[in-house]
Amino acid sequence: MNPINWLIVIGWLVYVVGYGIRRSRGTTDMDAYLRASRSLPWWAVGLSVMATQLSAVTMIGTTGQGATDGMRFIQFYFGLPVAMVILGVTLVPFLHGSGVYTAYEYLERRFDAKTRSLTAFLFLISRGMSCGTIIAAPAVVFSAIFGWPISWSVALIGAPAILYTIIGGVAATTWVDVKQMYLIIGALVAVVISLVVQIPASPIEALHVAGEAGRLRVFDFSPSLNNTYTFWSGLIGGTFLMLSYFGTDQSQVQRYLAAKSVDEARTSLLISAYWKIPLQALVLLVGILVFVFYQYHKQPLLFNPAQERAVRAAFPSEYANLEARFDSSRVLFERESLRGEALSMAARVTHETVKDVNYVIPRFVRDHLPVGLAGIFIAAVIAAAMNAISGELNSLSTTTTIDFYRRWIRSEGPDAHFLAVSRTATGLWGIFACVVATYAVNLGSLIEVVNKYGSFFYGSILGVFLLAMVPRAKATAAFIGLLVGMTAVYSVWHWAPQVSYLWYNVVGATTVFIVGGALSLFGGSGSPSKTPSLRHPERSEGSALRA
Amino acid sequence: MSEESNARFRRTLFRVMSVQVITLLLLWLLQQTFTR
Repeated sequence: MNPINWLIVIGWLVYVVGYGIRRSRGTTDMDAYLRASRSLPWWAVGLSVMATQLSAVTMIGTTGQGATDGMRFIQFYFGLPVAMVILGVTLVPFLHGSGVYTAYEYLERRFDAKTRSLTAFLFLISRGMSCGTIIAAPAVVFSAIFGWPISWSVALIGAPAILYTIIGGVAATTWVDVKQMYLIIGALVAVVISLVVQIPASPIEALHVAGEAGRLRVFDFSPSLNNTYTFWSGLIGGTFLMLSYFGTDQSQVQRYLAAKSVDEARTSLLISAYWKIPLQALVLLVGILVFVFYQYHKQPLLFNPAQERAVRAAFPSEYANLEARFDSSRVLFERESLRGEALSMAARVTHETVKDVNYVIPRFVRDHLPVGLAGIFIAAVIAAAMNAISGELNSLSTTTTIDFYRRWIRSEGPDAHFLAVSRTATGLWGIFACVVATYAVNLGSLIEVVNKYGSFFYGSILGVFLLAMVPRAKATAAFIGLLVGMTAVYSVWHWAPQVSYLWYNVVGATTVFIVGGALSLFGGSGSPSKTPSLRHPERSEGSALRA
Repeated sequence: MSEESNARFRRTLFRVMSVQVITLLLLWLLQQTFTR
């Protein structure tokens, strides 16, 4: 790679860290650190909400998915606008108006401490490991593409984000997110333009090539529960997933709790709903155009250079033969079959299942993007990772400080003490994420297991918040419902593994709601609610809508 | 919530859902035009 590209990457990182530290002036108390003293305008919060979700996995993995599978993945987001509207009318006004720092803090007011602690604990486990995965995914790819040790990649991606997040808290991370979103969108548009220029066919012809290969098939209306991405799983399962993610996951809740007012908090969510599907279409389009590019230029048989070297060394003549057949073939089905054979060879060398979807775009960037633009795209990938990391670190620190330290260890103390605890928690979670990321290659399937466990929890936690809207729902019933919900999801995963994971959220949420509701109705006495339900807020301190 | 903020919310909501519908229609058009 040309040194100019690295100059751009390093220059951007230095600028962003400096900007983040500058925006942290005024972060002198816990409220400023954890909620930016509720000073953030709707458009900054909206961009930050989008940025927190748009990680490097999107820039590398989703673009790669566009290249290998086409547009179908966009169906995953069909439920997002629906979920944002529902949240804007229900949970957001209530949480913002109730003065809580975390979504789980509210659960103790509504139900009891054990429900709060269990949901907060599930959040810490799933987000903590997820933070490591967000660093690991691009780090592993960068290491393979550029030949670096994993630890260098982890440091390049993790260290800057951890630094400005520790110093500046929510305010710093939000304003940095805004800057980085401009870079990300600009980089995606620039790459699309570069691809259109480099493909020796008109844009219409290029779309025909993509369409012939099935890459522009967007909608799948089949009712099958087994197909991962269908219109129905995206709209229904996706709505439940997005309700849970944006309504109950602290990494998103924290964004809109920092908005200036309830009105601006609601608007920020709607703004992110505005642009999510078009933005994802742009991301997938990059991948689709890379696919078209390789119909006119020599395509690597294996996109991961490290795997390619290993397979060439282990099976030199076999691989060379396969490569010659691949280069001479003009039939898409045959080429994909030959790629499958190459991936099988790689599996024999590495002794594990091999996919190289995540290497399609980085390999293209390294080999074919003009000098300068390659640096901008790499900076954008790192920016996307940093946005997600900083948002997750904010939320991990807040939940650790508010839901555990202040709740169970020390409830009273000077504000400076809790500010120091929050900063320390940020640093420790950052180190934890980097350690997980560094050993991610060895953890391998454990990362996959952890991600699957995340999908066990989301729907069930949403179910608890849905129960909170029912005035007669009782604390113990909600807690038992939560346990039964997670068990139900586990059962589906174990006994019906062919069911798409997007349906897990529906299973979890409905099970918790039904079981918790039934126990509340028929189960006798439970802890009386200390606070009115979500649906019936009253004007009392720390609750209700402040119109 | 004030009537003004509710009205603003409804206006933003209308714009958001319009953009989603237009985007879905464009994606449908893309599929129908370029896919057999």
